[in-house]
Amino acid sequence: MTWSRNVPALVAVARMQMRILYTYRVNAMFSMVLVGVQIYLLTVIWQAAYGNRTEVDGIAIGQLLVYLTLANLQVWFLRPKMAEDIQERIRQGQIGFDLSRPVGYPSQLMASAIGDMIGGLPILLLGFPVAFIAGELQRPASLEAGFGYTAALILAWLVAALLNLLVGLISFWTVEMNGFRMIYTLVGNFATGALVPLWFVPDAMRTIIQLLPFQAIAFIPVSIYVGEPATGSIGTALIVQAMWVGLLILFIRWVWGQAFRHTVIQGG
Amino acid sequence: MERISITLALASASLRSEFQYRANAMMSVIGGIIYQLTGFLIVWIIVNRFNTIGGWSLAEITFLYGMRLTSHGIFYMCFSQLFELDRVLITGEFDRFLVRPLSPLLQLFTRKLRVNCFGDLIGGGALLAFAWRGLDIDWSPLAVGYLLLAVVGGALVEGAVQIAMGALSFRFLNTIALRTTINEVFNQYGNYPQRIFPPLLQYVLTFGLPVAFVAYFPASTVLDRSNELLVSPWLAAAAPLVGLALFLLALRIWRRASRRYQSSGN
Repeated sequence: MTWSRNVPALVAVARMQMRILYTYRVNAMFSMVLVGVQIYLLTVIWQAAYGNRTEVDGIAIGQLLVYLTLANLQVWFLRPKMAEDIQERIRQGQIGFDLSRPVGYPSQLMASAIGDMIGGLPILLLGFPVAFIAGELQRPASLEAGFGYTAALILAWLVAALLNLLVGLISFWTVEMNGFRMIYTLVGNFATGALVPLWFVPDAMRTIIQLLPFQAIAFIPVSIYVGEPATGSIGTALIVQAMWVGLLILFIRWVWGQAFRHTVIQGG
Repeated sequence: MERISITLALASASLRSEFQYRANAMMSVIGGIIYQLTGFLIVWIIVNRFNTIGGWSLAEITFLYGMRLTSHGIFYMCFSQLFELDRVLITGEFDRFLVRPLSPLLQLFTRKLRVNCFGDLIGGGALLAFAWRGLDIDWSPLAVGYLLLAVVGGALVEGAVQIAMGALSFRFLNTIALRTTINEVFNQYGNYPQRIFPPLLQYVLTFGLPVAFVAYFPASTVLDRSNELLVSPWLAAAAPLVGLALFLLALRIWRRASRRYQSSGN
């Protein structure tokens, strides 16, 4: 298979990305402090909103605090990094080198996303104590929830990485997309459900958010973890995530087919 | 007098240069508004579902949020270039400031304008207007005057903190990560009634980092809620004066620190 022949090359791309990540480790540390600051604020606000009530809409305060802590830690870990990079490489014309490599460009990008993820794991380990101090962490609601969460987390990573890849590929049409990316990031951030769990979002808004892929990044996995799976059962929740992975892969293939023909190499 | 006219000329030049790229500038303004509205959306959803946060109604929290946002917009309009200070020092651009007949700090402030500050100002104004109708307050000229002073005072508090922290760059060159983190603490913790925090944190956000003086104290004064504060209502009401005092102090710190400036030499 041609795919397996490419593995060493893809591993090299992934390792390169890991090294890049470590040159910016000071920024990663400060962003971790910010996550702690945000988690603490959210847990305090929601506690104040609950007041004397221990349970609202079937969600106990303990579950909610664990949800907020874990969801924000997770969104921080899965935060998009590569779209900006693609844009910069197109602007400077380096994209020509990327495209001339014998490995497909989307595969290269996924490989560097994997490198990013693996490289980020040690930083994530440091994030746990921060989250523990700032918010509240507990074991998953049940053994099932634990296994379900692990599977959902992998799917969440896939959805986050694929969405990021998709946004990056849009740069092939328009180089100036800072405004678009800002709006996308903001809507996306909110629609993951990390700031306001979807249980408490007004119906009309929730319906819209449920039609978007972002909830697969935080709300679905973390709701499984705390024992209140988004769709009612762990199985269907995982199916919704897997469906988004499938749809995004198909969509990216199509977009890439179009983008490749559009490519203009600047400079050279 | 001459200093003021030079400063204004520089400021208007950077405003014009920003609006040369009209579409991009408009996108930034709209992005700024959306950014602030998603922040407010959290508050709106929670209060919509739970009626109050810490006993504050939607109109009251909106008022606080609007005051903070307007102050932040003024701060960002005037002082956004503090966030570029590290680069200005490292590239040696600061050398140029020293040979011109205007204080380096004013030259830094007027160096460039970040137009998303208009997003903050529009968003803040809209929230204040929205809160205005829901609040049962006698808007005497005195109250309106106090509100205006308080909004400016809030901008001075944020400016003072960033100027004083920016002065650290003369020694350490790279302090931007620290300063954006502090800015983020103001952005996140300044918008909520601080009585929901444990007392220790309330003291830290008053005397450690003066977040409470930006909007929470003056808003409590206007909303007649200053009896629920941990500090004297008089101190809370004096927030605009505290802003001015902190700002003057920060300028002193800056002047002292900038004497240590050593050119990066190129």
